[in-house]
Amino acid sequence: MSLTSQNPVIVTILALVLGFVVGAFIIIFTTATILDAFRGFFNSWGAPGHAFKITFDYVGAAYRDMFTGSVIDPAGFWHSLTTGKGWDNTLTPISETLTYATPLVIVSIAVGISFQTGLFNIGGNGQAVLGGIAGAVIGSMIKLPMIIHLPLTLIAGILGGALAGALPGVLKAYTGAHEVIVTIMENYVIYAFLLYVVLSTPYQQPGQANDIGRSVHSSAQLPPIFGEASGLRVSYGIFIAAGVVVFAWWFLERSSLGFDFRVTGASPSAAKASGISPRAVVILVFLISGGLAGLAGIVQVVSTTHYVDGTFLIGDAGIGFTAITVALLGRNKPVGILWAALLFGALGVGGRAMQAATGIPFDLATVIQSIVVLFVATPVLVKEIFRLRAGKTQALQLGTQGWG
Amino acid sequence: MRLELRGITKRFSSLTANDNISITVEPGQIHSLLGENGAGKSTLMNVLFGLLHPDEGEIVIDGEVIKFADSGEAVRRGIGMVHQHFMLVPVFSVTENVVLGFEPTKSLNRIDYKKATDDIRRVSKEFNLEVDPDAIVENLSVGIQQRVEILKALSHDAELLILDEPTAVLTPQEIEALMAIMRSLAASGKSILFITHKLKEVRAIADVITIIRHGKVVGTAEPTASESELASLMVGREVELSVQKDAYAPGQIVFEIRDLVVRDDRGLAVVDGVSLDVYAGEILALAGVQGNGQTELVEAIAGMRRIESGTITMNGRDITNETPRNILDAGLGHIPEDRQRDGLVMTLSVADNLVLNTPRRAPFASHGTRNLGAVAQHAEQLVKDFDIRTTSVKEPVSSLSGGNQQKVIVARELSRNIDFLVASQPTRGLDVGSIEYVHRQIVIHRNRGNGSLVVSSELDEVYALGDRIAVMYAGKISGIVDPSTSREDIGLMMAGTTVGALSD
Amino acid sequence: MTIAEAPTNSVPKIAIHNTRTKVIGGIMIVLALFVIFVFAFGSSPGAHSQLTFDPVNTTNAPIRLGTLTVLTRWCNLILGLAMLGLGIEVFWRQPRRGVMARFGSVAVLMLLALLFWAVRTPGPSQISYVNLTSILVGSSEVVMVLIYGALSGVMCERSGVVNIAIEGQFIAGAFIGTIVASETSNFFFAAIVGAIAGGLIGLLLAFFAVRYLVDQIIVGIVIVTGISFFSAYLNQQVFTPYPNLNTGNIAPSLPIPLLYKIPIIGPLFFNQSGFFYCMIIFVCLVSFALFKTRYGLHVRAVGEHPDAAATVGINVARVRYINVALGGAVAGIGGVAFMASQGQFLPDYTSGFGYIALAAMIFGRWRPSGAVVASIIFGMGVYLAANLQEFSVPISGEILQMFPYLITIAVVAGLIGRVRPPAADGMPYIRD
Repeated sequence: MSLTSQNPVIVTILALVLGFVVGAFIIIFTTATILDAFRGFFNSWGAPGHAFKITFDYVGAAYRDMFTGSVIDPAGFWHSLTTGKGWDNTLTPISETLTYATPLVIVSIAVGISFQTGLFNIGGNGQAVLGGIAGAVIGSMIKLPMIIHLPLTLIAGILGGALAGALPGVLKAYTGAHEVIVTIMENYVIYAFLLYVVLSTPYQQPGQANDIGRSVHSSAQLPPIFGEASGLRVSYGIFIAAGVVVFAWWFLERSSLGFDFRVTGASPSAAKASGISPRAVVILVFLISGGLAGLAGIVQVVSTTHYVDGTFLIGDAGIGFTAITVALLGRNKPVGILWAALLFGALGVGGRAMQAATGIPFDLATVIQSIVVLFVATPVLVKEIFRLRAGKTQALQLGTQGWG
Repeated sequence: MRLELRGITKRFSSLTANDNISITVEPGQIHSLLGENGAGKSTLMNVLFGLLHPDEGEIVIDGEVIKFADSGEAVRRGIGMVHQHFMLVPVFSVTENVVLGFEPTKSLNRIDYKKATDDIRRVSKEFNLEVDPDAIVENLSVGIQQRVEILKALSHDAELLILDEPTAVLTPQEIEALMAIMRSLAASGKSILFITHKLKEVRAIADVITIIRHGKVVGTAEPTASESELASLMVGREVELSVQKDAYAPGQIVFEIRDLVVRDDRGLAVVDGVSLDVYAGEILALAGVQGNGQTELVEAIAGMRRIESGTITMNGRDITNETPRNILDAGLGHIPEDRQRDGLVMTLSVADNLVLNTPRRAPFASHGTRNLGAVAQHAEQLVKDFDIRTTSVKEPVSSLSGGNQQKVIVARELSRNIDFLVASQPTRGLDVGSIEYVHRQIVIHRNRGNGSLVVSSELDEVYALGDRIAVMYAGKISGIVDPSTSREDIGLMMAGTTVGALSD
Repeated sequence: MTIAEAPTNSVPKIAIHNTRTKVIGGIMIVLALFVIFVFAFGSSPGAHSQLTFDPVNTTNAPIRLGTLTVLTRWCNLILGLAMLGLGIEVFWRQPRRGVMARFGSVAVLMLLALLFWAVRTPGPSQISYVNLTSILVGSSEVVMVLIYGALSGVMCERSGVVNIAIEGQFIAGAFIGTIVASETSNFFFAAIVGAIAGGLIGLLLAFFAVRYLVDQIIVGIVIVTGISFFSAYLNQQVFTPYPNLNTGNIAPSLPIPLLYKIPIIGPLFFNQSGFFYCMIIFVCLVSFALFKTRYGLHVRAVGEHPDAAATVGINVARVRYINVALGGAVAGIGGVAFMASQGQFLPDYTSGFGYIALAAMIFGRWRPSGAVVASIIFGMGVYLAANLQEFSVPISGEILQMFPYLITIAVVAGLIGRVRPPAADGMPYIRD
């Protein structure tokens, strides 16, 4: 493994390190206890050491909680290994990470496919929400045997997301409207629609005055792999996520349509000259991307939350925006996206654990994500910081330019 | 000014673009730098103009060694450059373009447009370069735009004028006018460095000729040297200046354009009632200065631009306003004008580019899934047959030289079992070896009994390839003649005179 | 031998055979007919609506005008006919320019007609009047923020850099502004600090986009996401333990003597906060600088054809850094202005205004004057849609919330192809 800046794994790891370092500084400068300790820096001989100790303790505790909350607690692991008991507790962090990552992987793949075609689908959030709504309605308003109901619910979710994707796709294809503004605006529209739906009488959770929708029937749920009793939430949804990754790989690398997508992303004019219809590609990309995002939304509903509410997929990190950072980190390739989603999933779950333990708001985790992604997107910068030998560095070119 | 370049060397990683180049330009001299595409002329000029810094060597102006920090300083030192691709802002007026960077100002940093315009009119009169200072540059003809570029350099008090391939975009008459301007500038004491790869022009205008090959100076010559002497110095071997063609035996009409009208984005008719026929076994060469509608005509043929009225028929099939997909499948081969933008996908591999037009056709794909093995095999075959220099077919096509990139396109189109070939500026920017190669391939296609339309602004190429020559001006065909027609007459047609008006 | 001049500036005004123009015109006609039949003829003949002119804020009130009572049917009929006229003009004459401006005007007229209809007496609404002044003044707050954003966009994009991060600069400005304003009660100082915050974000964007050739839109989105969550993080860490850093910061109005007494115009233009007056000054400054000065010519050259600029010695990177930083500063001040009209900072309360400002910039064809017109149309639309609820309009609140964003989408879809951004907008400049 050469130590050049061209090696993407090295760059990613170093970017991660940098991200956490910056995150540490943010913690330091915004935590009252640490700041107080530094204020008394010159008070006594022991004061500086004390200040640094507090810093390391605090930051270290924060990051340690992040790790144990998202991956594994080594002590607990050892305990379970030796006594054979308590596996449920030990495996909970990883289970949580996988649960969180399941819809994230799917949306990130959706976004990654659009990026490879040179189109910016910033509407992953809205598309996932609309898919979640569509599927949740099917899942909760009618009752059918599971073998029909579950697939039907999932398909409804895909269609809902595809419908949301159709708007920017058609507008871009026929009017050239820039998809960034349209998708961002559409997100806001769909958020409002979500509130409307969950507050409306037919759909609101009976007995609730809040913005919570009906729960889907058990015939439309994806059960947890290890059963309800274990408390491990990871569901069969991870197989759907894995399936999506495989599909995306096949689609982009082996299918003819995927080839058309990649050609269009690399050079729209050459694509047109070689016979590809740009309009068809644009519409298809948004239908597929939107559909996958919708799938993510409905998977989230049927496997984890079982209903949509006013903060569905928004309250956390706005899954659509996290998906963008994941796609960038994974360099728009399906396998890379899988790893990046697991990583950022861990970050998200860990962030919440950190908040529970130390009170540091989990938004910090998102900030770290953004910083990591910025570093990853500029390998040259990372190289300069770490003085790696220069390979032929290439900036991450994603195709579109300006409003054209 | 007296300019000396001493031992200029410039390297780009493994490539030495300029290797110990020394040239002297005397005041009032028209010094021509002759070299084929890729010889290193542009790099040298960028060094001279301050856009690049030489690795070794020095620039000496009137005996003083100068180092340019940037091109602004080169301009201040009296070096003016007329670029091959104009450095003019299209939406600005002539005045704004000419004063850019050297604007006269009033209070509050406001631009003094009155003074600027007066200055322009003065310089314009002094050197006999008529322009309208308030015109918006993008509305001007290419010849006039070039005048603005020259004006720009002169208004910065340039003493040395570098002209980089200035005649690519001009009619023969405009070239004459440009040469007159150059002579008068030289007579008034300015030095001129005139870069080109065109042998005829060099012999017509230069006082001294320096020949560059592969980054080195290989000799100087007088304008009295013969074309073949200059050509072999330029290329390093005997050059075949014409292409061998079988006897001209045209068959049926295989391609017909009737009364074609195509509008550009602003609603103007850039193709204004064009009619052409091409016979089997024939190359119809379409001559004309760039910007007279040829680009849009080819785009319309290939299905990339909407045809407002008129028809195009290929082998009896109406392909007017069909999709590019259908047109390609119907048997059209297309070598586009801008190979890197329309002909290739630079980031994809050579193999993928070689199937770019037909990725779904068996055996390259079936049931929506690609057969990568077949694609690679096909690519290996073509690389061998067409002598494409590449380390591997998996390499991105961007790693190939310009000539080899064009070979990829030519290989792809000609191996694809097409009926009719449309080639637009097929040898632009290529070295002589590649030019010979591309011409040979087109002629092979012709000799097999197929028809071709070759659009070119290089008269040499038009004469070499064309069995018949059509000339396009301002969206119309000003005439269709045979290759025995003189260059002057064709030049007149390129400037708008129609065939009927020519005597004899 | 002389060479004939090519005809200069001879672009004929050919109407573009454009189905899209017809579609837009058609939509306008449909909306007009809706207004005529539902809002005009749908009102009973005797129904009347009242139009009042007193601003909500009675300090420094202008001279009182009375109440104007109009017959709802006639009033809306007139509005509907005006809309119909515009729609037919677009459909028939297919003008090359100003189509979307007419569309925007139709949208505003429709919302006004909706208001008149909603307040009619007898009618379902509790409120029986439309207060024109308060609508104008209320909209002006939104318009002001949009102008700051659109102006920032113009400054950045004219030099060739796409600034998607305006939303983030708003948030940062609002956040820092509220802290400073709470501590010092000095809005001028808050504006300075907000400007610095916005400028630093701009520098960050420029740094990645100019120096490292990263796609400007991606960088912008990542920066906005980061800032959005960073501010939520700080909101928890800082404002929850110290709520006194985030209270009661509404910027005072500064009435201009005498002029503020003019009815309608007075409260709108001459009794506003300092931020409003500053905005007007900024618009004039940027217009002047961009189109009359040396500096402006350089900026526009860099945005259109950076190679040409470089060959005459203009430092392309430096021009971009400066412009993007200044543009960021303007957006930062806009964020402070927004906070100063709301009184405090809340996470995500800028609700996508930064992106609507970008749409306004495109609508305004990258000119400060156009950005102002576009922001007015968007701003009024946003304000009216958000406040329709008060008038018991029978559309649920959540659906009404969608309107500003739907309008933005419609405008953007209708505009593309008719506008020319600076030619090098969004393209990284690569030096050899």
